[in-house]
Amino acid sequence: MQALRTAATGMSAQQLNVEVISNNIANMNTVGFKKQRAEFQDLLYHTIERAGAQSSEQGTIVPAGVQIGGGVKAGSVYRITEQGSVTNTGNPYDLAIEGRGFFQVLMPSGETAYTRAGNLSLNAAGQLVTEDGYELQPAIAVPNAATSIAVSKTGQVQAIRAGQTEAEIVGQIELASFVNEAGLDAIGDNLLMETAASGPANTGAPGAEGFGTLLQGYTEASNVDAVTEITALIVAQRAYEMNSKVISAADEMLQAANAVKS
Amino acid sequence: MDNAVYVGLSRQMILRRELDIIANNVANADTVGFKVESLMARTEPGAPAETLGAPRPVKFVLAAGVARDFGQGALFQTGSDFDLGIEGDGFFEIATDEGARYTRDGRFRLDELGRIVTQAGDPVSGDGGGEIVVNPQDGPVSIAGDGTVSQGENVIGKVAVMRFDDLSMLEKAGDNQLRNISNLQPQAAPDARVHQGMLEGSNVKPILEITRLIEVTRAYESVTRMMESTADLSRRAVERMGRAN
Repeated sequence: MQALRTAATGMSAQQLNVEVISNNIANMNTVGFKKQRAEFQDLLYHTIERAGAQSSEQGTIVPAGVQIGGGVKAGSVYRITEQGSVTNTGNPYDLAIEGRGFFQVLMPSGETAYTRAGNLSLNAAGQLVTEDGYELQPAIAVPNAATSIAVSKTGQVQAIRAGQTEAEIVGQIELASFVNEAGLDAIGDNLLMETAASGPANTGAPGAEGFGTLLQGYTEASNVDAVTEITALIVAQRAYEMNSKVISAADEMLQAANAVKS
Repeated sequence: MDNAVYVGLSRQMILRRELDIIANNVANADTVGFKVESLMARTEPGAPAETLGAPRPVKFVLAAGVARDFGQGALFQTGSDFDLGIEGDGFFEIATDEGARYTRDGRFRLDELGRIVTQAGDPVSGDGGGEIVVNPQDGPVSIAGDGTVSQGENVIGKVAVMRFDDLSMLEKAGDNQLRNISNLQPQAAPDARVHQGMLEGSNVKPILEITRLIEVTRAYESVTRMMESTADLSRRAVERMGRAN
């Protein structure tokens, strides 16, 4: 019976939906996290009778065909790259991007990863690194004697050494942007990798055309909206139940058929 | 076999098919742009297997076609710039390898070349054919109610929204898309409004589907019972006739 299989596709789709929603909720407080959504599409249709087919020699046609759908499939899990709100942290090494762009991070493997999570810190060598200790690209070293650092909107990093009043430029942060940000591949730890779908990275200074600006002392919160996610969760749960109801109905019908006395 | 059994079987086959369609509706209750379907049944007068005097024809149940309700689904906000929902009569046109496809599912995105594409990567047709290419570096993209795509003051193109006079000549092709199976060409849909950052949910009404589900199950059971009693009847007839001799 097709209905059993169709309902099963519905249940597994809703299960994936719940997985994506729970990941969103779990990362509600993850800096720079972008919410995802599972996208569903209907499956192939089995055409039993085709509309428009000739129904007689006189040229009359079948006005409506009979097509039976096979259920639903998960097309893709799409990342919504909407801006998250910025939250004040007071930490001078926290940077939020307002607008398009990603920080570039040098992975231990030598590859470049991209992130919106600007909660940076200094490593032992005085370099700006991510939470995992991966260096920001291009590398920016803050001198040991620096008493304070300032990061401008356009990414210029300035440090004031102890005993001096004049700020000294120690580096320039560069952002990367992609034509298709949703095509980036998430590898965990708030990091994303370039793929063929995302297109190559364009780099540029913050504030340049097509790039966002930086905000020091702030981090970008996730763009997960709790209310939306909980509503989506309820919808997913009820849809799952409805599919299971279809399965029991199909089962009941099969039972009735089996119970026929011969 | 008796006429009743044949007629009952024809009804049961249709009920099963109806269940398949309900199952598909329920499975797609959360699919963007999905349009609900229902099976239409018709009677087919047939010559009875045996006539006992009266020349009353037997009427079988046959599928007359699948009715598709193209009614508007509820629009909901998503916050994604390339999510488009259509309000009113019309479809987006997608250029696939197998020809033009039509859809109400406006979950579009940019590909690596900056083209507006579907989930599967097929380009969305612009007004008068051709693709719509956006350069995200030029600033935010806004898509107006009539489908005009612009960045700042520059108009880049227009998303085609097409309509059909006869919707029954569209066939579902999966992936939320419809295929035109007639020679009729679609026309531009002036009444349709495109909403950016919104999507159209499916127009499946869960209550209706569950009610129909119960109806189908019960109808199937009662037909089964009818067939059983017919079988009972003939069994009893055989028993009695056997006794008489």
